[in-house]
Amino acid sequence: MQEFLLILKGDGMNHLSPDELQNIMEEYKAWVGRLGDQYLGGQRLEEHGALLTGKDESIITDGPFLESKEIIAGYMLIWAASQDEANEIALSSPHLGLYTIEVRPLVFPKMK
Amino acid sequence: MTGKTDQIVEHLFRAEYGKLVATMTSIFGTANIQLAEDVVQETLITALGNWGTKGIPDNPTAWLVQVAKRKALNELKRNQMVWMHHQADPIGMGGSHDADPVFLENEIEDSQLRMIFTCCHPLLNVESQIALTLKTLCGFGVGEVARALLTTESTINKRLYRAKKSIRDSNLPFSIPQGAELEKRLKVVGLALYLLFNEGYNSTSKDTIIQKELCLEAIRLVKLLLLHFDNNQELCALLALMCFHTARFEARIDNHGAIVLFADQDRALWNKELIVIGMKYMQKSMGARRLSAYHIEAGIAAEHCMAESFETTNWQSIFDQYKLLEKLKPNPVIALNLAVIQSQLEGIESSLRSLDKLKNDGALSHYHLLPATQGIFHMKLGNFRKAIAHLEAALHLEPSATESSLIQNRIEECKKML
Repeated sequence: MQEFLLILKGDGMNHLSPDELQNIMEEYKAWVGRLGDQYLGGQRLEEHGALLTGKDESIITDGPFLESKEIIAGYMLIWAASQDEANEIALSSPHLGLYTIEVRPLVFPKMK
Repeated sequence: MTGKTDQIVEHLFRAEYGKLVATMTSIFGTANIQLAEDVVQETLITALGNWGTKGIPDNPTAWLVQVAKRKALNELKRNQMVWMHHQADPIGMGGSHDADPVFLENEIEDSQLRMIFTCCHPLLNVESQIALTLKTLCGFGVGEVARALLTTESTINKRLYRAKKSIRDSNLPFSIPQGAELEKRLKVVGLALYLLFNEGYNSTSKDTIIQKELCLEAIRLVKLLLLHFDNNQELCALLALMCFHTARFEARIDNHGAIVLFADQDRALWNKELIVIGMKYMQKSMGARRLSAYHIEAGIAAEHCMAESFETTNWQSIFDQYKLLEKLKPNPVIALNLAVIQSQLEGIESSLRSLDKLKNDGALSHYHLLPATQGIFHMKLGNFRKAIAHLEAALHLEPSATESSLIQNRIEECKKML
């Protein structure tokens, strides 16, 4: 088993109606329920923040700094046996379609 | 999260959206309705993630208000904005009243009331009032508003954008009008909600679910107004009227989505509970200084609701009330209704003569229900050729899809009789 980071990009949910959001919440709950212990956690990110490009440059704050489809909306951390299984899990998530999902294994073994 | 409920009520997000946008607008001011909506959208997305993984909190409303207020505070800091609210400690971070559900409920209600007066401000045209009310107060998405009003998303987007811009440019206060102004403004609000209701009740789109929700939202908002202006008899009459119509909602459409004509409706499907509520508000509307059109329309609807059957309806009373209505707001559609009721009182031939006269007047030359009615009356008399001609004329006037299929069916029946 290995940890995988699912990086969600885009702004898909910003354009949904409250009814649609509520439906996705139900699907999400069911999806997390099915994953059980394989779901380790996740978080949504604010669109703004800071962008640091080098020691000498001044810090650019606020944002967003990217096109909306490139913005990282949030992440999820899961356990999976393989890249294939991690992909399967991402494929079954209710977020896919609204967001693109990058599925990246964390370096193994875990560094302490 | 301690919440053990794993279900939330249907449309909770939608209902909370409306409450939250009102509350946020009380924080940001009417110039920033868009910001208020953005914060609420973000709050719901946060709830989606949080509740989806950790379960539903015990008090979803309080959770949402708390999160939205924190987000609002961050926005204010980020944009270096000033607090617009009328309260001393609106964020409730320092005080204890956030835990007080009564305070919370009052605050939300008060904001919603201000929001109704903002959305239905005479500055905006009535189309914009309806679109803005549905989007911000009722929590419909742009797509849903477009479907409910039978138009496109881009039209609705433009309408909403322009409405918010007018509100911002005019620097509207987020307030409840006082004194003489109040009565005037309540009339504008009442009319907007009446028209919003009619959009739901009269437009026979395929999407009957959303149409009914429009009606229920109109009822909800009038009830909200009545919580504060409970002696306003015009609003009572308006609510009675809405209840009577909505009571008959299900009976108008059969299982296949086809229209059931009034005479053929199964009265057992009428919602008795709503009729009783309607009667209660009708009682409350009595003794008004001035009889409003809502009073008469409610009276007509009540007459229908009280009748045991189509045949035993008190047509004379309905006819008289329509006459009164016609005097109050002259309108060719009312004249059409009068002509139709005449068929119950004096027979179809006399009704057809009135319909012919109406047709010659020309005011209803684009209204499909005039030739459709003529067609159906001729059919009843056995004049099938005339019936077909009128029904085909009705089809050319672009009736809705469901009406179209009803008319088509009648034409087929007539053809079989030839």
